[in-house]
Amino acid sequence: MNPARSNILGRVRAALRTEAHRPPVPSASPLWPPIGDLETRFREEFAALRGELLSDTQALRHFLTGFPAIATDGNELARSVVGDGNSIVRSADLGVTGCDCLVAQTGSIFVTTRSAGGRALSVLPAAHLVVARRDQLVPDLEAAFALMRKRYDRHWPSLLCLISGPSRTADIEKILVMGAHGPKRLAVYWAG
Amino acid sequence: MTATADQFKRAAAVKASDPHHRAVLQKAIGAYDDAVARGKSRFADWQNARSQAAQLKWETVNHLDQYLEQFEHTVLNNGGHVFWAETAEDACRYIADLARHRGVQKVVKSKSMVTEEIYLNAALEEAGVRVVETDLGEFICQIRGETPYHIVTPVMHLTKADIARDFHEKLGAPLTDSAEELTMIARARLRQEFLTADMGVTGANFLIADTGMVALSTNEGNGRLSVSLPRIHVAVAGIEKLLPRFEDLALLWPLLAISGTGQGVTVYNTLLGGPRRDGEPDGPGEFHVVLLDNGRTRLLADAEQRDALHCIRCGACLNICPVYKNVGGHAYGTTYQGPIGSVITPHLRDAEQWSHLPYASSLCGACTDVCPVRVDLHHHLLHNRRNAVQQRFDQPAQRWAFSAWLWAMQSEKRYALAGWLARLAMRLGWADPFARAWTQGRELPVTPRESFREWWKNKGRDGPPGRPQPDHSARPAVAPYQHHK
Repeated sequence: MNPARSNILGRVRAALRTEAHRPPVPSASPLWPPIGDLETRFREEFAALRGELLSDTQALRHFLTGFPAIATDGNELARSVVGDGNSIVRSADLGVTGCDCLVAQTGSIFVTTRSAGGRALSVLPAAHLVVARRDQLVPDLEAAFALMRKRYDRHWPSLLCLISGPSRTADIEKILVMGAHGPKRLAVYWAG
Repeated sequence: MTATADQFKRAAAVKASDPHHRAVLQKAIGAYDDAVARGKSRFADWQNARSQAAQLKWETVNHLDQYLEQFEHTVLNNGGHVFWAETAEDACRYIADLARHRGVQKVVKSKSMVTEEIYLNAALEEAGVRVVETDLGEFICQIRGETPYHIVTPVMHLTKADIARDFHEKLGAPLTDSAEELTMIARARLRQEFLTADMGVTGANFLIADTGMVALSTNEGNGRLSVSLPRIHVAVAGIEKLLPRFEDLALLWPLLAISGTGQGVTVYNTLLGGPRRDGEPDGPGEFHVVLLDNGRTRLLADAEQRDALHCIRCGACLNICPVYKNVGGHAYGTTYQGPIGSVITPHLRDAEQWSHLPYASSLCGACTDVCPVRVDLHHHLLHNRRNAVQQRFDQPAQRWAFSAWLWAMQSEKRYALAGWLARLAMRLGWADPFARAWTQGRELPVTPRESFREWWKNKGRDGPPGRPQPDHSARPAVAPYQHHK
């Protein structure tokens, strides 16, 4: 047995016998300003992150024409717009998935391996389309975490991800470039 | 003077007088400052958000044993492995042995400062494993053979032209002046590496005790690809990275992103909770977390500076620091640069070798003001100076000078005498050898003939009481600071 565990925990306990100065107690005032209308806020935040919101079937059809090879996760909502797809994940141009919820406060999409067909489907293809219903919108991160806890506590999927816009980098001279490694385009289609 | 201190002084002197370096940094940090100001306005009360985060980290760090045990328990329940590493060598040996036993030929790495701290890449390469850095900035560092210049922005010091030249020379890519084209060159190349790697190595932004998860934030998506395609995932984390609850991220994710880059949240905030589960189509078959001490329990034992373990490595204290902005990240010669580096490095590494770092500060306190978890950085820089003196790590000349200063400051007469001597020495040029570090790039101001008190006695009393009017004609000319062309 590696003695490191008991050595480290022993040093931690010895160290903590001396009390450290406690920072002042924060005020109980709310951390965030009010969110307002969920759909409006989500639309604004998502657009600022360069996400594409597809509000009708025409916009959806137009978006889909750019991607000959489509992979999907078999999610009911996703199937309703692209059927079974026509590609495996590794050779797909577009991954189509569902999600757990959408966060108005940050314009984000919460996915898990269960709601979005595993790990690669929502990050490996060059584009990601999320098919969602408006009633999946939650106001803020706190509400999103509460929802995830309720849904998965003690049976967590192996990966959860809060996605906020397409992949980006600003490593070179702080110039914003979309699609560093993950999807260059991220879209949400309202299917209800 | 220790070799590390000598290296720091030389490197700092070169960078501080390099106008190109300064211009590149000013541009990058200027863009950062604008974004952060916008980001902070997302909170109703930024100061209260900092206080809440400080309270949360205090709670965690001061009950670290309980949260470590809880985290270990939940990771094991999720089907993962936990390895406790006392030193950098122990951590590297575990990961290299794992790679050997599993027949790993290639490792893809997501950006991680803790793996820089333990020199993991060198250890893996020695074990015959190819290591590929996949964060764009880290990838550029790797092909240049450099260490990261900044804990968040690894190539802040480079221009598009520098990177284009490296890609041309090292990768055979065509020259370009487009950041987008450079990014796409890296994307195409690294895509192949992701698809063929056997092991993904990541750091951890947070460890979640109650659900046994590793939280990883990346903008590029390289973190997610590193843990989606390879068959083994190894996460390396300092023991201080813990948070008690899953829900704590509702504060810490925005706080880290806003202080790190000004974004509301990072693009991919990912939680890794073990190997692939039954019914999941992909993901690694093995999940290992390496919990690293490597000097952290020494810092924990220093109750005065324990809050330095609250640090979430956002880089805000580097970006605000007037010293960092002048000397740049490489001059420090440490894994963690800037104020936080100067606080923790003497604890994590050798106290004597790095005793010069706390002096690389004007003690202006800007770092403390921007820290999102309220680490008392500038006071800790003072504490480290005091510790170095108590352990006699300071120079004899320094001790002598401070004794003389103390002697002079304790009496009005001695103070006046010292001032007169100093003015005389400066006028006669005797002070020049001592002022060389300043005069190499600048001129000394012309020394006035009389002291302020003499001037006040002779002329100043004619002005309004308590507030002397500037009367330049009555004073010897004092040249404004001038830079040599």
